Amino acid sequence: MLEVGELRSGYGRLEILQGVTLQVAPGTIVGVIGPNGAGKSTLLKTVFGYLSPFGGRITLEDQSLIGLRPDQILRLGTGFVAQAGGLFADMTVHENLLLGGYALRSSREARAAVDELYARFPLFAARRRQPAGSLSGGEQRILAVARALAVRPRLLLLDEPSAALAPRFIADVYDTIRALNGGGIAMLIVEQNVEAILAVAHRVFVLDLGRNAFDGTPAELRASDRIRRLYLGEDEG
Amino acid sequence: MLESLAEFAIQGIVLGGLYALFAVGLTLIFGVLDVINVAHGEFFAIGGYLAFAAIVVLHWPGAAGVAGAAVGTFLLGLGVYPLLLAPLKRRLGARPRGPLYLVLTLGLSTFLQSSLLAAAGGDYLRVPPYAGGVLDLSFTAVSHQRLLVLVVSIVLLGGLFLFLRFHREGLAVRAVAQNPDAAQAMGINLPRVFALTLALGVGLAGAGGALMAPLFNVYPTVGFPLTIKAFAITILGGMGNLAGALVASFLISLAEAFSVMLIPSEWQNAIAFAVMIVMLLLRPSGLLGGGGRR
Repeated sequence: MLEVGELRSGYGRLEILQGVTLQVAPGTIVGVIGPNGAGKSTLLKTVFGYLSPFGGRITLEDQSLIGLRPDQILRLGTGFVAQAGGLFADMTVHENLLLGGYALRSSREARAAVDELYARFPLFAARRRQPAGSLSGGEQRILAVARALAVRPRLLLLDEPSAALAPRFIADVYDTIRALNGGGIAMLIVEQNVEAILAVAHRVFVLDLGRNAFDGTPAELRASDRIRRLYLGEDEG
Repeated sequence: MLESLAEFAIQGIVLGGLYALFAVGLTLIFGVLDVINVAHGEFFAIGGYLAFAAIVVLHWPGAAGVAGAAVGTFLLGLGVYPLLLAPLKRRLGARPRGPLYLVLTLGLSTFLQSSLLAAAGGDYLRVPPYAGGVLDLSFTAVSHQRLLVLVVSIVLLGGLFLFLRFHREGLAVRAVAQNPDAAQAMGINLPRVFALTLALGVGLAGAGGALMAPLFNVYPTVGFPLTIKAFAITILGGMGNLAGALVASFLISLAEAFSVMLIPSEWQNAIAFAVMIVMLLLRPSGLLGGGGRR
């Protein structure tokens, strides 16, 4: 459903991505890993329209995303969850979820979508009046994912969903990701936590210095001594 | 003595309503767009001129004239972002931009003053009071016109706060103020919210100009001193903090009103700036802290 071809992108004149190619098939989880500075977040920001690419292709179900703003890309069925969640910390849980449904046609539809989210995530129904910033780190991350579901996306882009979380919260977040994927939502997940992403991904891309360094299944990645040594920090043998 | 205190308090509260209308709009624009709108006072003047045109020239009823002036200023404000700020933003990209926007709105301020001067001349124009008579409180009397300014200011500000708190577009405005990138990920169209916010902010100034037209004369530079004073109020309340701007408006207006008892009236206008300088030295984030984007 998502095709990225020979993508070049960056900040100002600094080219971070130097010809990255990847695909996300419907209903699958694709993980992108690699060392710091490899261009993982730049990739997601370019796909979602925060950054204008220098060259290459990005298509969602054969429609080009290049030149579109993030709000337009969202309306095509793609949600984005930022690295730190991107919650509006001073607003309540309820207001955050309502904003998640902003792109729906009416306030009534947005309220109905929020009610569905409360049924799916009862924790947030009980805390609806609480400022989002007062939730625990793991709850905030799950709230950010829940909020992105309000518009029923077919593809979710997640930027390091486990960043800065304690291990027990990482498990909660990835349980949520697995459950959502079970419901048919495709995901492109950029992640530093290699073990967490390998446990859920159907396919993995490794980026290094803005280029593709590996493309295969988690099993193939684990079987590649070179990749394990270079990118997973494991010793040979 | 007590009667004088009560009289000054009432004067201060009435003036505070006007300051709040003006400063809350300026603060809203800063909080959402990160732009200090130096041309804010010129929209106050435009509101006064539109009220003059509607009421004196076209003989509209006062309420329709004020409403028309507020709507007219709002509509003019809708054009400011797409025609002026957005093209500059596109050209600048991600480079630091604050000072350039300041100069741009300063240019707009001068342009609008010159345009008003060319279109309407430099004469002081008078608009008849919308409400005659006075309210006799035994210790002092307040004109109905001043009370009207206060009541309408409270209604407009209440409406703005309700809009921001409960309306879908108001939530979007608050979301953009907090985190524009995350707001875009919600499907919020940033240019649309920026244009709406600017229009709301200057629309409030226009409403203020129309309301005050019978009390101040209308002339091209009538709003400029208010802009400068609103900067002091904004800093006192906390840059981008709407509640702070509201509180600071009444603090400054009351301080100005009571200062007459202690210092010569020539110093009255300096009060706001003295408070601003002290606040900058002691607590630069303002009384209630900055409310703009993180």
